Amino acid sequence: SSQVQRGLEKLTPAQVDQKTAEVVQYILVKDQKKIPVRRAELVKNIVKDYRTVYPEIIKRAKRIFEQVFGLKLVEIDPKNHMYILVNNLDTPAAAASPVKCPSNPKTGLLFVILSVIFMKGGIVRENQIWNTLKKLRVDPGQRHEEFGDVRKVVTEEFVRQRYLEYTRIPHTEPIEYEFRWGHRADMEVSKAQILEFMGQLHEQDPRSWSQQYREAHTGSSSSQN
Amino acid sequence: GKEKASQLFSEGCAFDPTAFAEHLLSFMGLNRLEEEEENDELQNGGGVDGFLPKDAWHRLARRTECCFKTAPTFHYMMGSFYAEPPPPKQKSD
Amino acid sequence: MSRQLGDHHRRFLQTMMTIGITSEKEAKTLYQHCCETHKTQCAPDRLEEFIEAINSRLQPMFMQIRKGMSEEDGQQHYALVNTAETDITRMTSDYADNELELFRKIMDLIVSSENGKASSTDILNSADMMTSKKLKKGETQQLLLRLVQDKWLCESQGEYNLSTRCIIEMEPYIRAMYQDQVKVCHICHNMAFQCQICENPSCGIKIHNPCVARYFKGRMEPHCPACDDFWPHEIPEVRELHSLSKR
Ligand SMILES: [Zn+2]
Ligand SMILES: [Zn+2]
Repeated sequence: SSQVQRGLEKLTPAQVDQKTAEVVQYILVKDQKKIPVRRAELVKNIVKDYRTVYPEIIKRAKRIFEQVFGLKLVEIDPKNHMYILVNNLDTPAAAASPVKCPSNPKTGLLFVILSVIFMKGGIVRENQIWNTLKKLRVDPGQRHEEFGDVRKVVTEEFVRQRYLEYTRIPHTEPIEYEFRWGHRADMEVSKAQILEFMGQLHEQDPRSWSQQYREAHTGSSSSQN
Repeated sequence: GKEKASQLFSEGCAFDPTAFAEHLLSFMGLNRLEEEEENDELQNGGGVDGFLPKDAWHRLARRTECCFKTAPTFHYMMGSFYAEPPPPKQKSD
Repeated sequence: MSRQLGDHHRRFLQTMMTIGITSEKEAKTLYQHCCETHKTQCAPDRLEEFIEAINSRLQPMFMQIRKGMSEEDGQQHYALVNTAETDITRMTSDYADNELELFRKIMDLIVSSENGKASSTDILNSADMMTSKKLKKGETQQLLLRLVQDKWLCESQGEYNLSTRCIIEMEPYIRAMYQDQVKVCHICHNMAFQCQICENPSCGIKIHNPCVARYFKGRMEPHCPACDDFWPHEIPEVRELHSLSKR
């Protein structure tokens, strides 16, 4: 807009580049823990006096993430203006790499939870999740060797990262909660890939779950593939 | 999805979380100790028999990585603290 | 001038983000893999140029893929490093403030030591003298484990030394911070932690173990390259890995 244009005229290209680099750096640091970055925080901590040219700076940061890192900076939750980084490469670098990449066991845990939610139509009562996890020797009431406090990981960490939504079911006594996919899961997780592995596990054609198959392949949500 | 709930399971096969968990256990390399029926009680969530190998969850993670388009993260040591020379060795208290 | 990058560059960079450090040999394999995945022409002898292209776009973001030698085996490695120290870089949450304080104390111990190592006993003792929130013994041991896992330290028989990744990334910091104490290898001029030292008191030059191996290879009587005194240390074997010799 013209306001941005006027703001840019008061700055040297080097100043704008420097500010953009700081924004990129800040987002990379925040992404270490996969916590979404709030626009308000970004402006307050980093952009500061450059807020009039903020749209231009975020546009440039997006371009750098795409062109240099192969990552996509996306806005989730447009109401609260939050950003996350998503991989832009078709297959993750670690998956097919000839050099040994460490794996994160929480990916497995997350996969189980997201799969159950997806296969059950998008919303699942929390008991259903805990029961499934218990069968896998993961008990929310006990310290787990690999995950520590599992209840905390699932209902706090995964929620803060926006992989899961954990909400109270209205009018239940005693209080009950349910799980849904969070915004990050919508952006990051491929339903088609989940079904693919589901089929492999059950030795069954993925198309036999017709409802889910249709959802995965018409892209009724924003996830790719 | 508005009509999702009513449409769900009206066609195609149903999803059974118990069967799913069983398949996952096999995939993760569950070491089934002996006869299952004996110990398989609901109170224990049916999870008493057999044990999972140490790398069970890593195994699952490696297989399911391709479902996630997660951005890799950048970690460093230099720059995570103030670059000040170590203080001259003296104790404040 | 900065160049346009392709997906093969991006895949290489993403893998470096995941692993932090790689040997030159692995880097070549990875380079080839990235080119194949994205159907790009690959010139195996052009790894340096390939990395230079990535660096030209990374450096404005205060990052770099930097080359350095492993003190262990003398092989070249590449590490993805941070090059800035600012309010933003200090926001990293991998380690708590008191954990970072102990890490700096470990560096103090290692830099000021004869052999480039710190024993776990000495580390536990310095954990007792922290100014920020003290770490308990168990917490210190957990932290040491994590520092090894994250490839900042190496451990061998209860002794800790700086990893190759740490030396590559922290070199400017260590040179600035420990000006008087830091040792430099007489052969390759890089910082030296684990090395042999000339025993002539008026000489005292340092040489990395792998540099010793290479320098004295095939010589009957080893003499100090600076003062010509007899070199009294055991000469290690050159550890040449597979095809990795030309450079
Ligand atoms: Zn040397
Ligand atoms: Zn000498």
